[in-house]
Amino acid sequence: MSEIKPTKKLDVRGLMCPMPVVKLSSAINEVKVGEVIEVLATDPGSLTDIPAWARKTGNEVLKIDKEGNVIKFYVKRLK
Amino acid sequence: MEATLNIPGKAINDKLLYYLDICARCGACSDACHFYVTTKEPPHAPAYRMELLRRIYRRQYTWSGKIFTKLFKTNGVGSGEFLEEFKKAAFECTGCRRCTVFCPFGIDMGAFVGLMRSMLYRAGRGNEILDMLADTAISKGEMIKELQETFAETIRNLEERLRKETGDPSFKIPVGVKGARILYVALAGEHSIIPAAKIFNKVGENWTLSLFEASNYGYFTGNIEKAKKIAERIVNEAKHLGVKTIVISECGHAYRVFKHLVPTWFSGFNFEVKSIVELVADYVREGKLEVEGKVVEEPITYHDPCQLARNGGVIEEPRMLLKLVAKDYRELTPSGEKNWCCGGGGGLVAIPELYELRMKAGKAKAEQIRRSGARIVATACENCKLQLNDLNRYYNLGLKITGVIDLVAEAI
Ligand code: SF4
Ligand code: SF4
Repeated sequence: MSEIKPTKKLDVRGLMCPMPVVKLSSAINEVKVGEVIEVLATDPGSLTDIPAWARKTGNEVLKIDKEGNVIKFYVKRLK
Repeated sequence: MEATLNIPGKAINDKLLYYLDICARCGACSDACHFYVTTKEPPHAPAYRMELLRRIYRRQYTWSGKIFTKLFKTNGVGSGEFLEEFKKAAFECTGCRRCTVFCPFGIDMGAFVGLMRSMLYRAGRGNEILDMLADTAISKGEMIKELQETFAETIRNLEERLRKETGDPSFKIPVGVKGARILYVALAGEHSIIPAAKIFNKVGENWTLSLFEASNYGYFTGNIEKAKKIAERIVNEAKHLGVKTIVISECGHAYRVFKHLVPTWFSGFNFEVKSIVELVADYVREGKLEVEGKVVEEPITYHDPCQLARNGGVIEEPRMLLKLVAKDYRELTPSGEKNWCCGGGGGLVAIPELYELRMKAGKAKAEQIRRSGARIVATACENCKLQLNDLNRYYNLGLKITGVIDLVAEAI
């Protein structure tokens, strides 16, 4: 995969469900269609919540990385 | 902007008509509502919330309300201003039903507010965030096959970590076990899995962890169909695994939904429903779980989550557990079924623009905690914990907020 270049970083570390999804759904409106947000989370629930949110809202999770207990999502705005 | 708000015909029943008719405008409910006592805004007064609904009823269903529009104040119904007030009345309410306890006729404001939210939803004026969260939960149910592996892997990692932490190589967090006695429905984070898992392992319970989270944002949106879809994921899982008891983690509304609504939504629902707090209290009573002693030194109090205490009847169990682990347990005044709502329920903690209002609505709670002199506040609801943490910062209370089950798990 070519390198992903996020235009925005969203730090939701330490926040628990449902806040990561609430923050992401507002942050996605701050980037243009086609741009990517990098989300940093620590709540393991976000591993299933963020993909489910993306499917529902028609956006795309490009990649999920884990570093220690930090989970990184790369979310592309599709519409 | 205008919108047509209608009371659906099927919502008109004797109870609704009786309530609309019987209210004596005595105002006893106003002093009971944590919103109204601090804001003094009319749409926060319970009887006024009901008055807005009454106007719609008159305009829609009575000749007098259709003809004498000024006299019955039905002329404004449908205006943008009316809609704004109606939205405020419906969404700036935690559905705590404290007003109901103080009303001489026991008028059920929680039911009214549920109806008002559903009317807004049908008019395309629901709350977007709550709706998005409900849709995310439904979507998770639909794609569970894809997500199952990620979930299982997360749980395996957690299990591994807990084996090291507890020094118990046989420590288990079972997932998808057919024939387990208990299906434990946690929240989306490990914080609601770990303490329960420690207790289950200690007593040797035959349990399995649900793939889904207990919370149900469909319930808050006023769209009962969505609430049912969210709950159905867990009902199907319980049926598939053949469990006997569904145990809900520390989450007030999830308990209310599962204990009181779900059995009426699905035919053939024959599971026992318990809060984790009730279950752990059973373990102690039956001698299955021994607590090491009073490990909590600092003064501690308990905040009754409205949906668990006032609306669910779980009042004694958390107190019994806290008194086992704490040296200095203090009661809030008032407490139990008359306890002040913290101001975070009804889905409000998830709506960022309501933060300031939530802080105002939590003033009565903050003050009663301060008066108690407690340094630790335990509670048994996730929304309450989020709200209490916010109140703690906002009012500089210097508290530690924790769950009841967390403290028990630390003491075994
Ligand atoms: S249910 Fe609670 S928040 Fe709603 S009007 Fe009654 S006291 Fe106020
Ligand atoms: S306490 Fe009951 S009767 Fe009195 S104003 Fe409120 S809703 Fe009406």
